[in-house]
Amino acid sequence: MKKITALLLALVMMLGCAAAFAEDPIELDVIICEYGNNTRDWFLGSGMNGSNFVDLFTAANPDVKLNLQVVSWSDVHKEVSTRISNGNPPDILNIDTFSEFQADGLLLPVTDYCPEDLYQDFFPAFMEESVVDGTVWAVPDLASARALYYNKKIFDEVGIEVPATWAELKDVCQAIKDFYAGDVYGIGLDLTEDEGQVTFAYFAWGNNGGFVDADGNWALNSDANVEAVECIMDLINSGYANPSPSTQTRYELQDLFGAGKLAMVFAPNQLPQYLAEKGFDIEFATADIPHNEGATGSSVGVMDRVMAFRDDAAPDQAKRNEAIGKFLKFFYDPANYVGWVSMETFLPAVNSAVGALVEADPSFEAWLNVLGNCRFYPAAKSEWADVRNGIVVDVEQRALTGEEVRPLLDALQTKIAGN
Amino acid sequence: MNQILVRHKWEPYLWLLPSLLLMGIFVVYPIGIVFKLSFSEISRSGMVGGFNGLSNYITAVTAPEFGSVMLNTLIWVVSVVGISTLLGFIVALVLNAEFRGRKIARSIVVFPWAATLVVQASMWKYIINIEYGALNNTLLNTGILSRAVNWRPSYIIDFAWECGIGIFVTVPFVTFCVLAGLQSIDLSYYEAATVDGAGFWKKLRHLTLPLVRPSLTVSTVLNIIYVFNSFPIIYTITRGAPAHKTDTLVTYLYMLAFSEQRKGPATALSVVGFVILCICAGAYMIITMRKEDAE
Repeated sequence: MKKITALLLALVMMLGCAAAFAEDPIELDVIICEYGNNTRDWFLGSGMNGSNFVDLFTAANPDVKLNLQVVSWSDVHKEVSTRISNGNPPDILNIDTFSEFQADGLLLPVTDYCPEDLYQDFFPAFMEESVVDGTVWAVPDLASARALYYNKKIFDEVGIEVPATWAELKDVCQAIKDFYAGDVYGIGLDLTEDEGQVTFAYFAWGNNGGFVDADGNWALNSDANVEAVECIMDLINSGYANPSPSTQTRYELQDLFGAGKLAMVFAPNQLPQYLAEKGFDIEFATADIPHNEGATGSSVGVMDRVMAFRDDAAPDQAKRNEAIGKFLKFFYDPANYVGWVSMETFLPAVNSAVGALVEADPSFEAWLNVLGNCRFYPAAKSEWADVRNGIVVDVEQRALTGEEVRPLLDALQTKIAGN
Repeated sequence: MNQILVRHKWEPYLWLLPSLLLMGIFVVYPIGIVFKLSFSEISRSGMVGGFNGLSNYITAVTAPEFGSVMLNTLIWVVSVVGISTLLGFIVALVLNAEFRGRKIARSIVVFPWAATLVVQASMWKYIINIEYGALNNTLLNTGILSRAVNWRPSYIIDFAWECGIGIFVTVPFVTFCVLAGLQSIDLSYYEAATVDGAGFWKKLRHLTLPLVRPSLTVSTVLNIIYVFNSFPIIYTITRGAPAHKTDTLVTYLYMLAFSEQRKGPATALSVVGFVILCICAGAYMIITMRKEDAE
């Protein structure tokens, strides 16, 4: 009896293998970042009109099998680098940075796999952000733009106007501090390793400074940047900001803003949805990010990317590239992509989605205009990750402990650019 | 007879084999990998390159924050292990005395030990939060305070809170180790000492302390290892911010590896930590064992 069972089992296994060989679908390991509560449901659950991305994709492309994984933002870098260390990188990756992978020769140029019509559909300004040595190495999957949100009730009670410049910002914060005797903070500042670099960008770009100069070379210790960091420290030391900027992340600040304990916060265009989902009920409005007197303000954009890794062991490179192209084509198909972008209220990266998005929600248009003027991190430079950490830990957080700003920025510039 | 002896020769190893295998796969092998990685070049993306000598170690040790991180580690281990051993010993003495409700008191002491560290650290973070923390709310509602107090005004205070929480969660372990030792002491020793006219302090010094020393040795050695390696409290409350001023070696190397993506120096530091722990624990055990032998 046992023998018969064993024989039967062996037969079933052989048949199974034979069936697998007969179809021979291309397998793609895909890692997607978890943008919000709906991401997993959309890709793997029932968030796409009762079905999900993987099922619908497989139905439309039976020759491609997706092993799709949704990973939280706090784990994704760890997950990817562990896989790379073990010689098993994903085929398709959705993440924020790309230059560290490009520098190690792990990525495929976008033109190798991206269909021409889709390539032309991406906003050209976005594509430029992923160029190294004249080659595009990643495509944008979505973007968000930052603005200053303020609590209307607090502004009415105190009787103040929305600040446009740093000087006005300080005056407004002083008025709020006087009025509420410290119970309400003026402005929320995140100097944690999560987003300390964005806070730097708000102030540096708002003072005609920034990470790089006009030629694209690192210019971290410019006078404008020194002033910007000093302005951030001044806001904190004057008691205008949240009390622990080095441990309070933007999400904590958004919660304080929702609870009416924070008058102003810098946040992405998803803030209204965030507050609604958390059950906060406050009246708020948006304004431009304040800039220094005499400088031009600019919006801050954050963009994420999709990239494809090389797999030199793949038997048929052309077929693999084609499969990756099919994935992109399906993802950016307006029928799917519009739902994806609007689900987490992000801003699109392709032209073909704009019409449908504006039609569904006219307020999108204003954000699209903001996006047009946005500046992005210099993520294509290979030192970017070091700059990002350096700005937060070695400049902002050290300044917070009382160190002088200029030597800190000088030291970082020397470390990064050697001058 | 001979056969039985032969069988007994290999039998113990057979029974040990499963745990030896597990330890080999999950403890020894990963340690070996870390040693190897610490001498390899690791790129930011995670690619492991070739042998690069001591350069990971040099980068790690010459980083400007290395000194303060090591000092923090020393303060963290000495204060948490030292103070919790002292407090745990006192609590154990109290719980060893006869009183009504002793069973309840003993179970209450276990509570901080039973909850996971992440949960406890998150709870404390909530308790001392200035805006909606339980501590401020309680003091404001009972009228003891009229204004909310910022319980975390600087990173030095933050680190002190972290040490305090470390002590709070470590005391139960010491208490129960010492209590087990106390309960094994024959009461007749104390009766004899009382007859000889010894007071409380004399009995404590010449009877209790020598007799619970083995338990104290175990709890201290284990605590040095646990506390040195403890990660959740600091990671949950400050993540080492600002500028690694509240990091200990373990949280620092985690941030290096996974936040700053500098795995080379991080693996070098984990080897350094491993060696330090081996030396500390080994030295402590040798010293105490020698003393015990001498006595």
